[in-house]
Amino acid sequence: MTPLLYLLAAQAPDPEVIDRIPSGFSPFVLPFTIGVAFMFSWIGVGLIRLLAAIPKSDRIKFAKSLFIPKTALKNIKDLFCDCLFHVKIWQRKPLLGYMHSAIAFGWFMIIILGHIEVALFVPARLNVTRGGLFYPIFYRYFVWMNPGHTTLRGAFFFFLMDFFLLYILSGIALAIFKRFRSIVLGMRHTTKPSLADRVALYSLWMIFPLRLLAESFTADLSGGSFLTVPVNHFWHFLFGDKLWFMPTWWAYSICLGLFFAAMPFSRYMHILTEVLWILLRNAGIEPNHPRKGVAEAEIYACSSCGLCLDACPMNVQKKNLKYSSVYFIRFLRRHNEKKINDIADKCLMCDKCHALCPVGVNAPALRRAQRATVNNAIPFDYSYLSTASGSTLAGETHATLGTVRGGTGASLCEASGGAERSEAVARPRVLPETATGKVLYFAGCMTHLTPRIIKSVEKVFKAAGVDYVFADREGGICCGRPLMLAGRKEAAAKVIEANKKMIEESGCDTLVLSCPICLKVFKEEYQLQGIRIVHYTQFINDLIASGKLAVKNTGEKIVYHDPCELGRGCGIYLEPRAALGQVGTLVKASKEYDESICCGGSLGSLTLDMKDRGKISESSLDSLLANDPQTIVTACPLCLKTFSEAVSNSKGPRKDVKVKDFAEVICG
Amino acid sequence: MKNNILIIGGGPAGLESASQLQRMGYNVILIEKSPKLGGHLAKWDRLFPDSVPADEVLGGLLRGAEGVKCFTDTDVRAINRLDKSYNVRLTNGITVLSDAVLVASGFDLFDAVKKEEYGYGVYDQVMTNADLEAYFKTGTDRRIENPGKIGFAHCVGSRDEKAGCRSCSKVCCATAVKQAIEMKQAFPNAEVFCFYMDLRLFGRHYEDIYLKAQKEYGVRFIRGRVAEVSENYDGTLLVKAEDTVAGKPLKVTLDLLVLMAGMRPSGVGKAIGDLLEMPVEEDGYFAVRSGIAASQRSPIPGIFLAGAATGPKTLPETLADARAAAMEVDRYLTEIFPDAKNYKQLVKERW
Repeated sequence: MTPLLYLLAAQAPDPEVIDRIPSGFSPFVLPFTIGVAFMFSWIGVGLIRLLAAIPKSDRIKFAKSLFIPKTALKNIKDLFCDCLFHVKIWQRKPLLGYMHSAIAFGWFMIIILGHIEVALFVPARLNVTRGGLFYPIFYRYFVWMNPGHTTLRGAFFFFLMDFFLLYILSGIALAIFKRFRSIVLGMRHTTKPSLADRVALYSLWMIFPLRLLAESFTADLSGGSFLTVPVNHFWHFLFGDKLWFMPTWWAYSICLGLFFAAMPFSRYMHILTEVLWILLRNAGIEPNHPRKGVAEAEIYACSSCGLCLDACPMNVQKKNLKYSSVYFIRFLRRHNEKKINDIADKCLMCDKCHALCPVGVNAPALRRAQRATVNNAIPFDYSYLSTASGSTLAGETHATLGTVRGGTGASLCEASGGAERSEAVARPRVLPETATGKVLYFAGCMTHLTPRIIKSVEKVFKAAGVDYVFADREGGICCGRPLMLAGRKEAAAKVIEANKKMIEESGCDTLVLSCPICLKVFKEEYQLQGIRIVHYTQFINDLIASGKLAVKNTGEKIVYHDPCELGRGCGIYLEPRAALGQVGTLVKASKEYDESICCGGSLGSLTLDMKDRGKISESSLDSLLANDPQTIVTACPLCLKTFSEAVSNSKGPRKDVKVKDFAEVICG
Repeated sequence: MKNNILIIGGGPAGLESASQLQRMGYNVILIEKSPKLGGHLAKWDRLFPDSVPADEVLGGLLRGAEGVKCFTDTDVRAINRLDKSYNVRLTNGITVLSDAVLVASGFDLFDAVKKEEYGYGVYDQVMTNADLEAYFKTGTDRRIENPGKIGFAHCVGSRDEKAGCRSCSKVCCATAVKQAIEMKQAFPNAEVFCFYMDLRLFGRHYEDIYLKAQKEYGVRFIRGRVAEVSENYDGTLLVKAEDTVAGKPLKVTLDLLVLMAGMRPSGVGKAIGDLLEMPVEEDGYFAVRSGIAASQRSPIPGIFLAGAATGPKTLPETLADARAAAMEVDRYLTEIFPDAKNYKQLVKERW
């Protein structure tokens, strides 16, 4: 259809639209043209540098991904939903979503429609040498409507252009309002803009009102619709017949130029980088450095929208705002090493900022990568992991304390004497019995610190007649997740290897974990072939659903806390709720599922002190107790411990709330 | 000079200062929340370092305080500050107009249940230092039946930020060494282990009992905090710790684990502090006018402090503190309090 239209426009004896200025140029376009040319060259160089910094294998993976239909479809969907419609923001904060999509989608449509208009009515001007860079943007300045020859087609575009301009203006109005009263749009805290941010921000605010001004000044010459034409009449009413419209077009162009010139140094860089980031993200390429390669696309894709500020559990205290992901990313951009490390270490790694980020920037992963740059260099010695015989122990050392008397002087280390009463931790890798075709239960360090969970899990297993082997009854090795969180990948690899060997040799077919921290690393890093890895909430829910475990509903009012590593970390939200619904009445927390607030006990943070953690626990409790439950139930030993402590330290009726583990509630 | 002085708390600090103040001629009223005088001392069997019977020491304190008006089972209902004095309503219906108030509210033992990884209240064979003293006193405890291996875990609820207590409780190391020796005396064939982070016993004779414990009784000291405890099928305990001297993790199976629960600020004391609006420091203990020069004076004029209300103290320290507090009260009541005209000025200068 398009070639035909081109033809019609060119051949029409009395065209609808006439190229008003034969040269197709006016000096006022210069600010815009310079700004936009600068921006594109900056981005072009950046893009080449970025792609060069990505390992070759990743580059190939990236190129291939563009041609895989499934990924390509997802790319298209994500580009529309994330960049233009901001669906993720709509879902949580409709007004905020409207604001973002009005500006993004509206602007996008105005640019596209501008080009379509040029293509339809003055197609020759699309050529870059004939003003293609600026002509579609300032179309309304360059053309003259042939009176008496307007068609429905022309009016349709005039209407659309005015419609989208109004749409954007409503978004801008909200944006300006948000600067002063952000809470109305659902944001308690907003990002503090940097200098370049401010230049770009104020230009952005000005661009569209100025466009309205400029287009309305020329609306009687170049056409307009329901918005620009009445405004044009108003100007005529005010200033008489002669309208001097050049200043408004200059102002419009200058604002655009300023915006694009400031863009590479401001948060608005995300408008274009986001596209690249989405493509890289969907290609499955992960950053292995906090600043270089893919990470660069990721950090420039951050729009500094500030949604992570309210998401961050640390921000119950205003003083901690500076540790939010948005500022972490800002300092990454600025190479501010000291601040980067401070912020990276402070984070609880609860992943909420990632879950809520409209463009899916994985700030926790960047923080881990940053920690790795510092912490991987710390020496470690796990040589004892490979020595299965409990070789040396305190016994020898303490013999130097001298004269251990008589019969009691037997070495503390009885392992060497063959007795099993005490031994080095290395031993438990050899399981007491094989678990061929059976269920293997791995409690993990954190569960061992909360023995009531172990007791309850075993009670449930017995009641359901589960044939299981308790892998680390006598103690085990850490799953490796805390090391991963500290960025110590190499050290983690050691313990992962040792545990993996133990599990593979056991011959089990199902591995049950009661600690979500373990679960995440077992799922992501262990690559256990042919072994089903499940959390005990899933396993027990299956037992109930299949009728193997009978439970009784006590009607107790229960609120379920989603542990970070289980919910956002492993996507398990429904199974624990399904099972708990069978033993009590579930009530809602004010923030739950992927918006659940970290308990404050997370071992993700390397530097957060107990006082700050206490405040986080309090705010998490506030959310959980919103609907007056009798019992808080969680499915993570660390959350259990933290909430128990927080409840016992609190005052008033809160002290009577019980804190229980999932299995504890199930076995009654 | 018959000023009324109210002493809150009938433990060693309260009793000793009551006895001193009475000797100076003041009219002393002492209140105690529980039915019995003596505080924690009344529950203890023998005292470090020389294993003096606690009853003997308590007896001495009670004799010294004879003639003091003591109200047991009594708490403070309300306190009003008048110009210089305090009008205190007690729960037994009596109202005292007191010219000085001495707070000797002492401490609570850390609730070992909070340290769930050690299994107190979860496993059968775990007890606290207080439980063990009760056993020494009564001779019965279902947990103690000729134990073969006994462990003492130091620093339970002390020097542990995660448990909400950063400070050292000062007395547990010496108590652990004392109790270890006593257990060896009771069960000569038992093996006894002490798991410590740092040994902080530094008073007179303390080193002697530490050496005696090793040389004469073969108590094994392992430098490493107990990490966690689990229960074996037979009810014995598997204790995991890191031997930081050897740089290795280790596990020991025990028949009995004794947790050296540390000192926490008294809950009852805190409630009274709230009535008096007495400031507390970050560690939860009451603030003093000056930690070095005026550690028995609260920041509020006319209110004095003695004993563990201002932080963990050994018994001799508590008694010395109580005597010092008595001197401070006397000085206040003779030098500042009587001068009605210049009272405010004097408080400003000398409090």
